[in-house]
Amino acid sequence: MTQQPQHTKTKRYGMVIDLDKCTGCGACMVACYAENNVPFRQDESDKMRSLNWIRVMKVDNGKPFPDTQVCYIPMPCMQCDGQHMEGHSPCVSVCPAVATDYDQTTGIVSQIYTRCFGCRYCMAACPYHARKFNWWDPKWPADMEKYLNPDVSARMRGVVEKCSFCYHRYQKARDKAYVEGREELHEDEYQTACAQACPTNAIAFGDLHNPEHAVYSLSRSKTAFRLLERLNTNPKVYYLSSKSWVRRKADNYLEGENPEQIREKARKAAATH
Amino acid sequence: MKIDRRCFLSLVIGGAVGTTLTPVPWKLTDDIAIWSQNWPWTPVPEDGPSKFVKSVCTQCPGGCGITVRTIGDRAIKIEGQPDHPVNNGSLCPRAISATQHLYGPSRIQGPMKRAGERGQGKWEKISWDEAIKTVTEKLAELRTRGKPHTVACISDTDGNGSSYLMDRFLQAYGSPNFIRTPSSADAQELALYLSCGRQGTIGYDFRKADFILSFGCALMDGCDTAGQVMSAFGEQDKKTRLVQIEARLSDTAAKAAQWVPAKPGSETALALGLGHVIVRDGLYNKAFIDNHGFAFEDWQDDAGNTHPGYRSLVQDHSPDKVAKATGLSEKVIESLARSFARAHRPVAVSGLGSAAPDSLDQALAVFALNALAGNFQKPGGVFLIDEPDYLSWTEMKIDKTASAGNQHPRVDGAGSEKFAHTRYLPNRLPEAINSAKGDSPVQALLVAGGNPLYTLADPRAAQKAFEKIPFIVSFSTFIDETAEQADLLLPHPHFLESYQDVPTPRGMAHTVVSLARPVVKPQYDTRHMADVVIQIAKNLGGFIENAFPWKNYEDFLRKSLSDQWKTLEKKGFWSDSRSRDTSLDKIFRTSSQRFEFFPMSKFAAMNGNGNKKAGVEKIELPGNIDKLPLVLVPYTSMRISDGAVANTPFMTKTLDANVVLENDVFVEINPKTASEYGLSQGDKATVKTQAGRAEVRVNLFEGIMPGLVAMPAGLGRTGFSDYIAGKGANVYSLIAPAADPASGLNAAWGARAAIAKA
Amino acid sequence: MTTPAIPEGVKRCPTRQFTLWLAVVGAVLLWGVYAMFLIWYKGLNQTGMNDAYGFALWIWADLAVIALGGGAFFTGFLTYIIGKKELKSIINYAVIIGFICYSSALLILALDIGQPLRGWFIFWHANVHSMLTEVAFCLSCYFAVLTIEFIPLVLENPKLDRIPFLHHLSHNLHEVMAVFAATGVFLSFFHQGSLGGVAGVLYGRPFAFREGLLIWPWTFFLFTWSAAAVGPCFTMLITWLTEKITQKKLVRPEAFQLLAKISGWMLLTYMIAKIADTWYWAAVTAPSKGFSLMDFYSNNPVYGIWILIAELVICGIVPALILITRKGRENKKLLVTAAILAVLGVCINRWVMVLQVMAAPLLPFHDWYMYMPTWQEVATTILPVAYGAILISLAHRYLPVFPHEKELNPGQ
Repeated sequence: MTQQPQHTKTKRYGMVIDLDKCTGCGACMVACYAENNVPFRQDESDKMRSLNWIRVMKVDNGKPFPDTQVCYIPMPCMQCDGQHMEGHSPCVSVCPAVATDYDQTTGIVSQIYTRCFGCRYCMAACPYHARKFNWWDPKWPADMEKYLNPDVSARMRGVVEKCSFCYHRYQKARDKAYVEGREELHEDEYQTACAQACPTNAIAFGDLHNPEHAVYSLSRSKTAFRLLERLNTNPKVYYLSSKSWVRRKADNYLEGENPEQIREKARKAAATH
Repeated sequence: MKIDRRCFLSLVIGGAVGTTLTPVPWKLTDDIAIWSQNWPWTPVPEDGPSKFVKSVCTQCPGGCGITVRTIGDRAIKIEGQPDHPVNNGSLCPRAISATQHLYGPSRIQGPMKRAGERGQGKWEKISWDEAIKTVTEKLAELRTRGKPHTVACISDTDGNGSSYLMDRFLQAYGSPNFIRTPSSADAQELALYLSCGRQGTIGYDFRKADFILSFGCALMDGCDTAGQVMSAFGEQDKKTRLVQIEARLSDTAAKAAQWVPAKPGSETALALGLGHVIVRDGLYNKAFIDNHGFAFEDWQDDAGNTHPGYRSLVQDHSPDKVAKATGLSEKVIESLARSFARAHRPVAVSGLGSAAPDSLDQALAVFALNALAGNFQKPGGVFLIDEPDYLSWTEMKIDKTASAGNQHPRVDGAGSEKFAHTRYLPNRLPEAINSAKGDSPVQALLVAGGNPLYTLADPRAAQKAFEKIPFIVSFSTFIDETAEQADLLLPHPHFLESYQDVPTPRGMAHTVVSLARPVVKPQYDTRHMADVVIQIAKNLGGFIENAFPWKNYEDFLRKSLSDQWKTLEKKGFWSDSRSRDTSLDKIFRTSSQRFEFFPMSKFAAMNGNGNKKAGVEKIELPGNIDKLPLVLVPYTSMRISDGAVANTPFMTKTLDANVVLENDVFVEINPKTASEYGLSQGDKATVKTQAGRAEVRVNLFEGIMPGLVAMPAGLGRTGFSDYIAGKGANVYSLIAPAADPASGLNAAWGARAAIAKA
Repeated sequence: MTTPAIPEGVKRCPTRQFTLWLAVVGAVLLWGVYAMFLIWYKGLNQTGMNDAYGFALWIWADLAVIALGGGAFFTGFLTYIIGKKELKSIINYAVIIGFICYSSALLILALDIGQPLRGWFIFWHANVHSMLTEVAFCLSCYFAVLTIEFIPLVLENPKLDRIPFLHHLSHNLHEVMAVFAATGVFLSFFHQGSLGGVAGVLYGRPFAFREGLLIWPWTFFLFTWSAAAVGPCFTMLITWLTEKITQKKLVRPEAFQLLAKISGWMLLTYMIAKIADTWYWAAVTAPSKGFSLMDFYSNNPVYGIWILIAELVICGIVPALILITRKGRENKKLLVTAAILAVLGVCINRWVMVLQVMAAPLLPFHDWYMYMPTWQEVATTILPVAYGAILISLAHRYLPVFPHEKELNPGQ
């Protein structure tokens, strides 16, 4: 966890996903596959062995017809800030070979595929199942290697991978800004592939510290919540939903507990922190 | 020799230090590190300067603008074109993953002729010259024998340049049999023609409407309108009220402000019931109906006969009756009617993207609701879009043989006395061929788009018909189900490799024409089908050759688009959103110059038909209700391509394990219904209908009406590649067509079915 | 039958019988080796693991064998540091069992990583925050220590001892052995703890997560404690088994009694700590994250509350009570039962801390994750058992493992 350079302001890149707008179309997943050279196999129906950097979960309210409601929850890597907001995300602190790291300047959790030796401790540590293992050698049939994106390296068998918030796009935008003598990036200069692809604009992406970015106010709205907040992982992926049953599904509560109250309390505690 | 402690220690330490001083361990470690980090079989994509090319996706009629990132001659990534009037940057998974088809194993890599039996999958490579010569000779022979009308052409569109050229070729050659593959748009176009007198499409201003009443449209579940609707949904403030009428909690229903689970097939009754309440309570737009409506009240024809108007028609659709038909409560029907009528900018839509086709009556009944609201040609309302007229044509002369051929009735029966206004009846084609005595009425079939052996209802009957056709040519880009049964493959390039004009997509509220262009060089030995047709015309000579004064398709586009070509080249599209007609005075081109609630022309058609009463509420499904007590309905999903071209591997990858597991497709059943049949989650089961049977698995879903079995459309492919074929079953193969008596179009919204544990 | 390779004054079975036994166990070994090569060649897709089950049978086997191998360090600690001379009778065997356990653990670890050729990155790019780094360092160092402890015994083979160089080497090693033993004890205390820490630090996994002291979660101490308690039980159990098979007395009864007594008290104190830990976790830690105790023991086909009762009561309290009472200890049947129960208990504990941790769902819309090992995983997990049996057989046959064997079996 390196000291940040003096000249760059610390950013906390994050995402706010409006579940009222997500239609579950899967465009984010496919855009992510295409952007990040995610391989595929003939049978991908074993979802626990299918490489996905962002998965869209289908959740229902459990009520019988016709009171049933369905909500889709896209889940990328939550890019956790960790227990004390200092980068000790669940996965980073456990990796024995520093193959995954928390970037203090952006808040993004990286993964170095060529250093990972596949112990999978990070996968055991991640409560969101955001981390995926390369169970097989990747193969692109026919001429499909031609569409591979040179900005993202293809992963070999036996290593762990996960969503990087399209960090290569950040690097490109940062380099461009540097050449142009700018220090700040515009909001639209750096967007993840999923946020860019979302056809209903359900995914907003930007710097949670920057009041000019949409995510700043969205993440602070009344209906904003994160998944498994009570674990203190401090994810940087927020969700919005107008439905209280959806908000309740986001975390575990004992009988008699009021999710909204607990969330409010946590919010106040975070504000004083 | 005595080794003391000192000696021992020196030996050990000395040895260790000595070894580390040699380069051996370090070099080995370094080598292992490098080798194990870059596995030689893991590809390293080549880098280079990157470009963004504007184009349009042609995989469905949706016409979404795309931006393709390229590096050298490689197409890397497809993204939405942010300023495109159709989709404004939004794209579906199918468009995003199109590069997988471009470079994938499903591509036909060059012209080929069949080597073994049909469908055996044995092909022999041939040259383009030989391929074109084969087709020319076959067509010339049929013409010499005076049978040009036995040539038919199937296309998935009749709106773009290459389909025009195809149609023109048939006319010059002498065949009336240009057939467009079926889609949910068929009934809509006919309804538009009958009630407004215009050939074209119905446009809805989704972005500005404040109330969208959707009769089972797959607005956010399927192709066609997904790009425009999803981008509109993303831009809208939450004040727009979307109401979805559908028996299954689809993704559109899940996003709707209100989900109205009416029984499938009862949509017409519901639309008329809503009309009943609106008329009864006087909530309709009187000004519009007075000035621009016809047959709202009872009316007399020239002969003095009185005919019932809309008011009378909806008279017997009182809420209690409609409640019975739809399974909804009267309260829901009443309040739905009122909130629709009281909205400022309401639109009622049907037939957009649905997996099951609508009946003409449903299309008319739903369209009439828009007329009650009078919300035509204004922001947030309904716009009438003419069929494309952007291509300028040169006059064409035809010879006697062609003229005689063109006089023959169409083989599918469209435009006949019985179905005077229907332009294409693709679902009648198999029956026409199968029931013909002697030789097949189709001697040569050109499949220039579409994949009829997959998409037609009851593809088994179509397969049988195809077996009777002696000569089948496929222009398919991919080895699809129809190409598998062809005699000759003349592969058309992928849409990222070729020019293609794309007319206004269905549902768009203004004219938008886009241009797909070669983003990368053709990967394989392919030729544009329009180029091939132009070449065949030249080979046939005479009037036919003269009808094609263009070098090739690109030359044709440039010449006929003239000024607009430049805009298309530069911007990728042009649109008339600003100049569109907002006056109501000239938009209705019916004989009454008004919106016809009860179309006279339809009345005339019915008279010809003789056996039809006004207001057929429901297309009855064939089959014995005791043996087949359930109803199978197809559904569309954004993650499954239900059209001619199958899923990409990426799309299949996104499917949940309760949609497809290994090679099994899941049908959705309400837990109540499942328990009646002793079915639990994940059970293997057999679904049986009149048309066929399929092995499936069961997914219990509370969001589906009891008594229904829902199956996704688009699976059960046999063609394409190992990544696609063999997964699930084709739902269309379980649904036999049910002809709409009014139009002849297939209107089978489902099939009677039985399910049993396997 | 006596050959110069067999230590003086002891009787061993005929070569034919021995070869036959080796062949049988060797077949099992070969099966495991075949599975091992499959895994290295084709990758971890040969296992039943998945993205939810990143840790499974192998990690359990690792934790279990290391806990059971704890007999080596703890007996060493008692023998060399505390000075319990009675244990000299069993210390050699404890070292061998420890050596087998630790070498097996390393082998399984080499299988369990996706990129075995990069395994050394754990040392090269070590992350000091990771419990696994600590485990790897201590484990490898301790294995080296065990090897060094094992070598002199090997060199005492009559044939090898005749070679002067080896004789002197052995002599020198013997002289410095106490230093290594002490180092081993120190290393063990830490890596046993780190192994406990592996699960305990997972604050994203409320089933595993424990609060603790400074950087060490309570599981850190519980693991060390339980390994110290149960390791000797396992040593005793294997010794008893060896005695049964060879039909000989190998270890002085005093050694057994002492070890059993210490083990019993260790186990009892461990159980008190473990129950306190479980209570605190169930009453405070888990509820603070929104989980009630029964959330972890219901709605799934395997993990019911029975597993907690089995671990804490049947395989915890019960053997502890047997071992701390003289009557219990002196009754061979009870003693062995208690040892078996204790060993089972620690295996259940390690199982729960690996597999149930992975199985328990975290998000309300997730289900329990289930896992079935493939035959390749089972074969490679049985492989160390076969390897251990072979090593023990060879050691017993050719090395003077039990210093009191001659004296205990005077007739032979």
